Parts: sequence; C-alpha cells; structure tokens
Amino acid sequence: MKTTPKSACETCAHHSLENVKKLGVDITNVDFVIALAGNPNTGKSTVFNALTGLRQHTGNWPGKTVTRAEGAFEYQQKKFKLIDLPGTYSLMSRSEDEEVARNFILFGKPNVTIIVVDASRLERNLNLTLQILEITSNAVLCLNLMDEAQKNNIQIDTRSLSKELGIPVVATSARSKEGIPELIATISDVALGKIICKPHKIKNIPPQLEQAIKKLSTAIQNQYPTVSNSRWLAFRVLEGDTHIIEALKTGDFS
Amino acid sequence: MKELEEFDKIIALSNELRWQIGDDFHDDLTEAIYADAAKIVKKTVVQNSQKGTLGIDAKIDNIVTSKIWGFPLMLFLLGFVLWLTIIGANYPSAMLSSLLLDIVHPFLKESTAAIGFPWWLSGFLVDGVYLAVAWVIAVMLPPMAIFFPLFTLLEDFGYLPRVAFNMDSLFKKSGAHGKQALTMSMGFGCNAAGVVATRIIDSPRERLIAIITNNFSLCNGRWPTQILLATIFIGAVVPESYSSIASLAAVVGIAVLGIFFMFFFSWALSKTVLKGEVSTFNLELPPYRTPVFWKTIYTSLIDRTLIVLWRAIVFAAPAGAVIWLICNITLGDESIAAYLVHSMDGFGFILGLNGVILLAYIVAIPANEIVIPTILMLTVMVTGISAGSGSGVMFELDSVSATADILKAGGWTLLTAINVMLFSLLHNPCSTTIYTIYQETKSLKWTVVASILPVIAGFIVTFLVAQIWRIIF
Amino acid sequence: MNSYNPIIYLSVFFVLVVLLVLVFNTRNGVYFTYLKTKNATKKTAVEDILKLLYHNDRFTEADIIEQLEYSHGLIESCLLKMLSKQLIAKESHFVQLTDEGEEYALRIIRAHRLWEKYLSEKTGFHKKEWHDRAEQKEHELSDEELDQLAKLLGNPKFDPHGDPIPTKSGKIVQKKGTDLSRLPVHSIGKIIHIEDEPAAIYKEILAQKIHLHSQIKVIESNEQIVVFEAEGVVFKLTPVVAKNITVQELDPENILDVNNSRLSNLKINETATIIGISKESRGENRRRLLDLGFVKGAEVRINLVNPLNDPTAFLIKGTSIALRKDQSEKILITKNIGNENNT
Ligand SMILES: Nc1nc2c(ncn2[C@@H]2O[C@H](COP(=O)(O)OP(=O)(O)O)[C@@H](O)[C@H]2O)c(=O)[nH]1
Ligand SMILES: [Mg+2]
Repeated sequence: MKTTPKSACETCAHHSLENVKKLGVDITNVDFVIALAGNPNTGKSTVFNALTGLRQHTGNWPGKTVTRAEGAFEYQQKKFKLIDLPGTYSLMSRSEDEEVARNFILFGKPNVTIIVVDASRLERNLNLTLQILEITSNAVLCLNLMDEAQKNNIQIDTRSLSKELGIPVVATSARSKEGIPELIATISDVALGKIICKPHKIKNIPPQLEQAIKKLSTAIQNQYPTVSNSRWLAFRVLEGDTHIIEALKTGDFS
Repeated sequence: MKELEEFDKIIALSNELRWQIGDDFHDDLTEAIYADAAKIVKKTVVQNSQKGTLGIDAKIDNIVTSKIWGFPLMLFLLGFVLWLTIIGANYPSAMLSSLLLDIVHPFLKESTAAIGFPWWLSGFLVDGVYLAVAWVIAVMLPPMAIFFPLFTLLEDFGYLPRVAFNMDSLFKKSGAHGKQALTMSMGFGCNAAGVVATRIIDSPRERLIAIITNNFSLCNGRWPTQILLATIFIGAVVPESYSSIASLAAVVGIAVLGIFFMFFFSWALSKTVLKGEVSTFNLELPPYRTPVFWKTIYTSLIDRTLIVLWRAIVFAAPAGAVIWLICNITLGDESIAAYLVHSMDGFGFILGLNGVILLAYIVAIPANEIVIPTILMLTVMVTGISAGSGSGVMFELDSVSATADILKAGGWTLLTAINVMLFSLLHNPCSTTIYTIYQETKSLKWTVVASILPVIAGFIVTFLVAQIWRIIF
Repeated sequence: MNSYNPIIYLSVFFVLVVLLVLVFNTRNGVYFTYLKTKNATKKTAVEDILKLLYHNDRFTEADIIEQLEYSHGLIESCLLKMLSKQLIAKESHFVQLTDEGEEYALRIIRAHRLWEKYLSEKTGFHKKEWHDRAEQKEHELSDEELDQLAKLLGNPKFDPHGDPIPTKSGKIVQKKGTDLSRLPVHSIGKIIHIEDEPAAIYKEILAQKIHLHSQIKVIESNEQIVVFEAEGVVFKLTPVVAKNITVQELDPENILDVNNSRLSNLKINETATIIGISKESRGENRRRLLDLGFVKGAEVRINLVNPLNDPTAFLIKGTSIALRKDQSEKILITKNIGNENNT
C-alpha cells in the first residue's frame, strides 16, 4: 500500500464532519459507488446511517438486512453513492444473501468496498475480508466496534494490520460516530487514487491445489485479459459455481 | 464462435483439474484462508486479559438459558408484551375511531353533499373506501405502534437469539428452526411482519415452513374479534362472577390452538412436500448491547409499523369499495350481497356458520379488522332490523349488549360464536400477508399453499365441531 | 334443511377421509402403486437385470427371478430381448454380461451413484431415502442429463456411501478393503464404504450413527459380536451387520491421533482442537460449518448448555455459535488435556 504524502491542512480537514454533506436517498449523478460489506452484525447499517444520514434498520441480530439499501453523501465536491449489502460469513457458499453481496462486488464494480469488521472478532471476520480482497483491490477495512474491543481489553495494531492486508485500515465506533470522518477521508483517497491498495492474496493453499489454480487462472487471464481477479474466478470455477461459469460464457467480465 | 471454443477449453481444463484435486477443494481453501487469518491476527492483535464485558454476557446468558429461569422468563416477556399491546392500544384506538368514524365521517358526508356529489358517489367514496381505511387505521395502528417497538428493543438488546436457542429443540421435533419461535411471536403482532421476519432463518426449508405457518399466529387484527365474541357468548354461559375469566381463557385457548396447528403443519410440511428442500442450521448468539432507545423506537415505527400499515390501507381501500358496491347494486329485487348471503347459507350451515359470516370473510380478505363491522352491517341488511346507517355502511356499536342483540337476531348461537372464533384463527391470510408471502418467496406455488392450507383446516375443524355439537346437544 | 342429519354428514366425511388415505398412502396406496406399475416397463426391468448381473457373476435365470420383484413372465421376455440384443450371453444355465452389456450396466450404475451424490449434496432428503430415489431416477436420466449432473457435481469419484462412480467412458476405480468383521482385534482401519442394501441392515447402521471415513479400532471381534471404537464412541454390531461395512487397514503413518472424538462428546469446561469435519456432513451444511470457523486447528469449548439439552452453543474464534447435536456429531476434535478449569 502506498500513501502519497499529504499537506498538513488536508489532514486537519479530515477530522471534522463539517465538509460532509449527507444526501440521504438522493443518488443521482454520482461520482463514485461505494459498497459496504461485512459479516452479519458488525455495524454495516450503523456505518451506512452515519455516512448518509439515513435511518436504516439496525438490530443486534445476525441476518436482518436482506435487500440492499442505497444512500449517498457528498465530500469535497464529489458525490458518493453507498450500498449496504447483506451481511455474510463468506462469499463461497450459495445462499441468497451471499449471491446478492457477491454479485454486487463482482459485477457492480464499486469504486471502493468498505469491509466492516468486528474488532473483537477479527480472525473470524478476516475470512470474508480475505475473500473480498481476492475479488477487488480497492478496499478499506473499517475496524468497527472499537469501543467493545477496548472493553474486552483487545488491542489492535492498525498500522501493521494495514500493512498485512495491503489496504487502509480505519478504526471506528460507528454508533458514537468515532472515526467516521477519517473513514470518509480514506474512502475518498482510495476512490481518487491517492491511496493505491496492494491487497493480500491467500497464501496457505496446499501446493498441488495452488498449481491447479495457477493453471486455470492463467487460462482465464489469457482468454479475458481485462479481468483483474482471474485467481478468484479460478477458485469459483474449480468449485463448479454455475453462476460464474455462465458469466464467463456470456463474457460479463470484459 | 472462436470465443466459445476457448471457453469450452477452459471448462474442459477445469473439469480435468477438478477430477485431479478431488472434492476437498472447498475445505482446503477455507482452511487456507483461516490459516492466513490466524497468522495476521497473531501479528496484529494483543489480547490483554481474558475477561471484559464477556464476563457480564456470560452471567446474563446463564440466567436467560437456565433450566429454571429460561422458560418462565420467555413466557413472562411475551405475555407482558402482548398484554401491554392489547391493554395499551385500547385508549388510543377508541380515540382514533371516535375521531375518524364519529367526527370525520359525518363531516365528509355533509361536505360531499354540500358540494353536490350524487348519493352514489359519496356513498362509494365516503361510506365505502374511506370507512374501510379509517377502520383499519383505528384498529391496527395503535397496537402495532406499541408491539413493534417493544419487540425491536428486545431484538436490539440481543435477547431474541437466546429465545431461539432455548426453543430450538421443540421446533426441531416438528422439522422447524428455533428462530421460528420469533417469527411466530412477531405474527401475533402482524402476520405480514412475521413473514418478513423469516428472513432471519437462512435455511430454505425451515424458512418456507415458517412463512407458510405464520398465519396460525393470531394477529392483532383478529384479537378484537376473539375478545368481543368471547365476551358476548362464552362469558354468558358461566356464572357472572367467572365470566371475564372464562372469556379470557377462551381467547387464550384459541391462540394456543393456533400454536398447536403451527407445530402440526410444520411437522406435516417438513415430512411431505418440503422434505427435499435444503436444510441447514446455524444460530449465532451475538453479544448483548444496550439499545439506543429513541433511535430504535423511531426506526421500528418507520420500518415496520408504517410500512405494514401502508400496505394494509392500499388493500383496504378497494375492499371498502367492493363492500359498498355489492350492497348497493341490485340484481332483480335483491342486492348482490343479499344474493350471495343466501346462496352461501347452506354451506355455512354445514360448517356451523352462516352466509353472512362467509361473505364477510370473503370481502374482508384485505383486512381482518373489518370482519366484525361487515358482519354487523350484513346482518342488519338481511334481517331488516333497524340499526346502523344504511346499506353498505359498516358500523360497530359501543355497547357490547347491543352488538349481542344484533348477532342473536341474525340467528347466532353459542355454536356459531365458537365456530367464528375458530374460523377467525383458521382461514386464509389477509391480502397484505398473501402479497408479502409472494414477495418473500417469489413463488406462486408456495403463496397458494400458504393461502389455502389454513382455510382447509378451518373448514374441517368447524365442520367437525358443528356436527359433533349438533349430535350432542 | 329438513333432511339434515349431522350423523350422516359426519359419516360421509369419515368415508371420504378413509378413501383419500387408501388412494394416496405413500407406502401402498392405490395411486402410488399405480405409478410404480406404470414405471415398471420393460426398459426398467432390463436395466435392473443388467445391474444385478454386473454385481453377481454366476447367476441363473432362477436366481434373477428370485432377486427381482418383477413378474416371472416379464423377466423371461426381457432376457430373450437382451439375448437378441447381445447384452447377455448364456453359458450352460448361467447368464453372463457381454462387453456391451457391461458397458450398459456401468452407465446405469453411474446414473444411480451420481444421483445419490446429487441428493446428498444439493437437496435436503434424508440419507435413508437416497437409495430408493436413485433406483427410480437411474432409469430416467438421459446421457446429456448425466453429463450435466456430473459437471454440476464436479465429476465426483465416489458416491455418498463410498462406492466409486464409473466415469463416462466406463472406467471405475477399484477400492481395496475388507469387511469389518474380518479386521483383526487391535488393528486400526478406516471405514471406506457402507452398503445401503438390504434396507433393514442399513437402517441399523444409520441408527447407530456410524460415519463414513471414520477411523476405527477393533476391540473385540468374534462370531457373536464385533466391538470397535470410532471417534470416541464405542460401537457394538453383530457380524452380519459388520459385513456391510468395508474398512481399509491403515498404515502407521496414516493413523490420526487415536484420541480423536466427536465434538458432541465434549464436556463443559473442556477445551479441544478441531481435527476436521466428518465426510458425513455434506453440501450446504458442510460449507456453513467451515464458514463459521469450524476448521482444522481451531480451538473450541462449550459456551452454553441448553435448558432442553439441544442445541449447544460453542465458543469458536471469539463467537458463540449454537449447533444441533446432529451437527456437532460430525465435527472431529482432540481434547486438549491439562487445561481444564482454567477459566
Ligand atoms: N457499542 C457499539 N455498538 C455498535 C457499533 N456499531 C454498531 N453497533 C451495534 O451493533 C448492532 C449491529 O449493528 P448493525 O448496523 O445492524 O449491523 P449490520 O448487521 O452489520 O448491519 C446494533 O445493535 C448496533 O447498535 C459500535 O461502534 N459500538
Ligand atoms: Mg444491516
């Protein structure tokens, strides 16, 4: 991950919400599309509400957002459209919610994907995070529920986490809006290309599988030179994901 | 063409590779991801001491899932929420109905007459459409505005998943998911909301079961019917000092019977038509969190109450129009309504009901709230007694005894009342719910099954009760 | 209304109910019997004979008649037809498959096993129904549908009972193994196949919850009884039942930790490490468990016991997740010794 140096004043503006205009459901003429993904119950809708000023239903109960919600905000004269995706544990099983979330990240081509994770349960949340990073490279990790993590005496080194994942990491407590200004600034930096992500790729795959994946992903890459996630497509094709195979056939990836 | 060839090559390659790597691919990949995750966490996270809020969570959990306190606590909370809803809704409901029905309705009548609307237009709009909508709002809004926020507060706190946890093995026996305990409870508020709530069940078979059987939860729109009939007919058969207890017991009995049917049909569905659907189980118990009180109240009002109310109004308006029309359009020397009532009288009798009741249930498919007003209006119309304010104008009476008089004049007996109570539990879902079921399942087949199943059950049960009753008495 | 008599109505109702039950009873109702006989065409019978002959080398016509439920006449006419089509040949009284007949038989076996695999991976039908459904379906699937099915399932090598699935070109992996009753005492093996016929014996195996691919250790084995331990549970079978389980003796380097056990055996306050998920957990269920973090190497302990005993909530990777007993039975663990009661 590379961060271009910022002037002092640019940074100071990031610490207030004043130059953020919450636009609610006004989603016309947007400059960037931002997706909100994450495990169930990590505060995605709370982050969504904090950013857009809307009042999507939030509830302490995994699995309540099924249809996706949309909203918008404006920051430094750029308009961002935000989509709250259903919470999922993974993108590799085939339940309805997972399909909605997966299809949006894959075909909707959001400019930035915010991955909202529960700071107290980072390991479990990284399962989804690492899968998303195989699909898209423009992502921001929103390390939410920091207040709870603190109460549980959990400390997280956000800088080395950001280095490991290759994407910016922002610590937030969305309910009290802590860290939201920084999150917005980071989203905008990634969207504008001021921050370039070098996302982590899954490493611990057994060698003979890795070989098979490589063969297939090379073949896919040759056939569809524009795709950026041929490795992930290879995963899916090897699992016989009919939806992805169909999409390859009709050329939805070009 | 060449591209498709290339594509086929990729598929052929993948088939060959899949054959080579065997069927553990998904396992291996997931393990690899978790191994990466563990490594990253090791480098970046420091856990200082084991305990934190987890200690408090554990204490709450030990109480709410304990052998001694678990079940009483659940029953108490559900009972409390329902009690608060029914009792608490009385006053605002009465206020709303006196405002909408006693003040606004005559006002609208007068003003339409003043502007010179012909009688049929003002009848159609004001007596038909307006009255049905007003009724639905008056009866439906207050209980939902109390029930949903209370329920949502429990949800936000994190208590509801524990209820699913406690109840799961009961539901498992009938092939259902523990979370159905919650969608069912939500159904006591409103079946349409209950059906939407089944989204929390992420196993296809169990979710369908929960959707199809939700109608067996006696919803807010049907409680008033039950209470009214129990008070008039059941309360009257016992000595006066016991009458309120007897009628309360009858209403609770009907609700419990509904739960019994819910279990029975869940079991039957899971063993027959649904047994091939994929079935999985997962239930995460999230940490307890203090709800943000006002925000929760606000969103639950917007999200649940108003949306459901809006849908109900959309459906009630045309129903009001239809009711008014069938009472005012005549075929030969009878209105359509009277004609329909007479033609259904025979079938109604076999079920221990009558034509008026059946017709009321048909035209009131959009909303259970208007069943009693429609029955009263139709009874007055076919018997020709003087009450109410004209044909096609639904009404209700403030005095229970006056209502009783009309019903008895319409030929009602204790059997009729019992069977109407049963039929009010066991009949097709209201059209809002039917529409919601279609929205959620996107399947005509399951929508039809969910709509027909309870009516069939209703016909069978009322038929049996009627025949046996007549043999005994 | 004068002629109304509730007793008559009630009687008519009950007669109707009885009639409906008679017609639609799934076991031997008129409707289903009709469907069955309608399906019992010559093609079905021919294919069933082929399968039978594939599995049994020296069979006479009388054996075939005895083994299959078809009428005498139908079987005879089928055999004649098969002879003329050169699917079978006769050697003295023995009926044998020709090469062509064997190819055909393998195609039917492929259809049967692929369909069982499909039922196990993609539907919610119970194990005990797979066989019968596949018996029907094997006669209905076209070549094209079979290819589609194989592709969908990722060209699986084995069916859910551990039987090899023939490839399209008729190749079939041979599995070496002995039946469980012949494994010597104290030896360690792995269950590689559980036979699903006859139904009565299969039912008993299912009831005992013996799992495919589990590692077993024989404790006692004689004419009366076979006792073995698998996944921390002791099983006792009669030799007749044990014969329907095929095992493979394991080389020392392939032996898993002998202390392995099922997650359902974990006690409160014990901690354990997950070894893996049993092959008996399939399809969507298996994926869910993996997604939820029940992967090799994860630490697990009981978080909450249910007032009605099932499900149990386990603490895994920082979250409390409730599993039903039939799920936790299919997760294998080794208990961590020495760190009990340290909370
Ligand atoms: N303490 C605390 N609670 C939060 C925070 N963010 C969200 N929550 C709560 O976590 C629960 C789940 O949030 P929600 O936005 O519905 O999660 P989603 O399922 O990911 O959309 C709700 O009860 C929120 O009030 C936070 O930063 N701190
Ligand atoms: Mg949400």
